[in-house]
Amino acid sequence: MNSVLHPDRGGVITRRRTGVVVIITAILAAGLLLPRLRPHTFNGSVMQSNTPAPSAELTSDAGRPLSLTDFRGKIVVVYFGYTFCPDLCPTTLATLDRALERMGEEADQIQVVMITVDPSRDTPEALARYLDSFNPGFVGMTGTPEDVAEVATVYGVYFEADEGTSESGYLVNHTASLVVIDQQGYLKLVLPPLIGVDELVSDLEYLV
Amino acid sequence: MIDDTIRDVTERPGTHRRRWTTIVSVIGVLLIAGSLGFKIFEPVQVLPRIRLAPGFIMTDQHGDQITSEDLKGSVVLYTFTYTNCGDPCLAPEPTVAEVRDRMGEVDLGGVDMRFVTVSFDPTRDTPGALAGRADEMGADGDEWIYATPSYQQAKTVIGAGFREWYEPAADDTFSFDPTLVLVDGWGVVRGEYRYQTLTSDVDRIVHHLDILGEEIRNSHGAASLAYEAAHLFLCYP
Repeated sequence: MNSVLHPDRGGVITRRRTGVVVIITAILAAGLLLPRLRPHTFNGSVMQSNTPAPSAELTSDAGRPLSLTDFRGKIVVVYFGYTFCPDLCPTTLATLDRALERMGEEADQIQVVMITVDPSRDTPEALARYLDSFNPGFVGMTGTPEDVAEVATVYGVYFEADEGTSESGYLVNHTASLVVIDQQGYLKLVLPPLIGVDELVSDLEYLV
Repeated sequence: MIDDTIRDVTERPGTHRRRWTTIVSVIGVLLIAGSLGFKIFEPVQVLPRIRLAPGFIMTDQHGDQITSEDLKGSVVLYTFTYTNCGDPCLAPEPTVAEVRDRMGEVDLGGVDMRFVTVSFDPTRDTPGALAGRADEMGADGDEWIYATPSYQQAKTVIGAGFREWYEPAADDTFSFDPTLVLVDGWGVVRGEYRYQTLTSDVDRIVHHLDILGEEIRNSHGAASLAYEAAHLFLCYP
């Protein structure tokens, strides 16, 4: 009736409704898109190194020569620890295992490597046994004390033998940060010791 | 009718002129506002995160052990020399002393600033020798530390880790590059000063510490996103 008496009014109302719908749709779309457009905040220090990460040519837990460059194409998470480690190493390795489990199929693109800081006791066999108990996909690396010391130094890791309990013989104090190398072999990220599963998953998923 | 036509014809050029004037004015205002904004807010600058500083254990001038872990959380300026460096010697200590004296110009957001002078002559640079040199230079052993790694570790830590070139000569002297290395609290190298430029090392280092301080002070909340973006877009000084 109105539209007969005021032929233009129906059009105005329709245009207004269309405008309101467009604005609401735009707000909803922005609400959905903005969190995705927000840059990822890493939980560690992001590197912009223009030289590839040191190769670390050592011996694998299978007793074969192995270098970190052999994992090119994967994201490599490097941790320096040892099998007699009472608390920090098992906690970190368990966190890494839970993070990979949470990531599902994406975890196939991640390689966890533990380089021992106790090469005298950590034979390839001991390393393999120890790491298998956390995740059969984890790889261990060892070598002569000199080679291990050199690799640790260039990865910013210090370690020294310390007094321990009679069971362990001695403990090894060591840097417990995680170092992440990207698919192209560049140092990408340094993560703090004892990082949580959520933070780890968030950063690794972003890198994948 | 005729009047309307005349008005139309006479108003058209004026309308166009007004439109163009408006467009040019808006562009002009935007340019001025942009320039002022650029000047007032200045683009964020950051120091590159170059690589990991080496892990180490050294012995300081008191005979105590100092490790790379002990220095995590502090900004550290490393220098390299040896106490038997005679005259003339490219000793880095005057630069360190000058930077230390100018730290009042820099706000590191509550993060400690440390100076570590590393000797690459562990055989002769015993804690006693290091302490003597530290006293000469006014290094207190806390803010400014003199230290040396073991003979076995020296080449790995100083050469491979800090990338400081040094070589012993037959007459018990050393040839070396006077290098300064700036490391942040994460143990990441943020600056390397290997040669003299037109700006003195001291001015460059103080300027870089100022930039690092800005980043540290803005490392939390929304502001940190701008600094991470600056890393992404390589906004380096």
